[in-house]
Amino acid sequence: MINELLLQFGQWMEAQQYSQMLVAGYYSYSWLEATHVLTLMVSIGSLFIIDFRMLGWILPNVSASTIADRLHKPMMIGFAIMFITGFLLVYAKPVETIQSLWFRIKMVLLVLAFINAWIFNAKMKAADGNWDNDSVAPRNLRVGAILSLVLWCGVVTMGRYIPYDWVDCDKTQNSTILWAAGCVDQLKAL
Amino acid sequence: MSDNKKIGDKELAAISVSVIVFGGLMFHWVAELISTLDLLELAYGTVKLFNNPLVF
Amino acid sequence: MFSTIWSQYKATLTVFLVLLVIVVLEVLQVRAAIYPSLLPAFEWLKNSTPLGYIGTTYGSIYATVQAMHLLAMGTLGGLVLTTDLRLLGVMFRNTPSEVISNGTHKAFKVALIAAVLTGIFCVAGVADKVYYMPVFWVKMLALAVGAAFVFLVKQPLLNSKPHSEINPWIIRGMAITSILVWFTVAASGRWIGFS
Repeated sequence: MINELLLQFGQWMEAQQYSQMLVAGYYSYSWLEATHVLTLMVSIGSLFIIDFRMLGWILPNVSASTIADRLHKPMMIGFAIMFITGFLLVYAKPVETIQSLWFRIKMVLLVLAFINAWIFNAKMKAADGNWDNDSVAPRNLRVGAILSLVLWCGVVTMGRYIPYDWVDCDKTQNSTILWAAGCVDQLKAL
Repeated sequence: MSDNKKIGDKELAAISVSVIVFGGLMFHWVAELISTLDLLELAYGTVKLFNNPLVF
Repeated sequence: MFSTIWSQYKATLTVFLVLLVIVVLEVLQVRAAIYPSLLPAFEWLKNSTPLGYIGTTYGSIYATVQAMHLLAMGTLGGLVLTTDLRLLGVMFRNTPSEVISNGTHKAFKVALIAAVLTGIFCVAGVADKVYYMPVFWVKMLALAVGAAFVFLVKQPLLNSKPHSEINPWIIRGMAITSILVWFTVAASGRWIGFS
């Protein structure tokens, strides 16, 4: 049911003029993708420095809250650009992306990463400030930092997998994969 | 400028390298920009970032 | 006379000596002469090494290493931006710039090594293609210049004295150049994939 709806949504987007313009432009799609990838240096770059600081791998003599505070803004700007360019990339090739297993895993990991970030922030605010100048953050924050690193590595890896066609709808007969990727027609044909 | 901010050897080397490398990279990127604009003009007859196949 | 100038301006003179050598090599067309002889090395990398074999045989491993390369470059970019924006006085104004630039340098080295190692693997799988791409050589040149700039010029100066004793315009010039170099490395890298 939800796979059908998603497919219809994708087809609706794909029929739009601007979606087709993005793909057909000489450089438009490449520039979009390049911006999306290069902004990793701002978003993930800032985030990883915060996580590394919590784990005590970097800048141990700067307080953890200073690092988290100052890098918050560039990180958010980075993620905003990634979100906009990411949406446009999906918009340019909607059906292909919506029926990509990797894209779907990526979205799940993204949601998990945001939940983790939410919890991490709450824990950081709840923790009393005594640890702030310690070179390593308290255990529960370290766990959050490791989870964040793992989840974002997963997001980037899944993102890198999207252009590969290993398990595209017409490449696999495995019904579980077809269902998970939302290959409605191929699943019916089985 | 105070005496302790005198530009020494390392400073001179650093600013020379910075200027040369920065200039070289800017030259590269401007050349890339010009050749890209030329290519778009060649492809579309005008500089268009987005091509609209429905009007093409 | 000459020896006094040399001992006083060793670094500056070395810079211009290197520049002179590069110009002379270009005028003598040494680069053009060496270029064809590099092709066998690239073909060997792809066809006769385990790296090239794995890269061309297992697409999933290749894509995973590419993702690791991206992650290393992302981390590297974050470290470069943090360090250089501090040197420019944009971020972390309340933290001494010595603390930031020293504190990020070790991680920068680790990220650079990770990016280079994963990068070699990425090259091995498509060595016969990238050899013919100008953008690949732009990236390699930018990488070499960037590494030389950081390790031979920027870090030695920043470590030699308190940053307050260095002319602020020199610090800003180095920071902007550093950002532009590493941006060029990353952007050219992304373009290799499109070409």
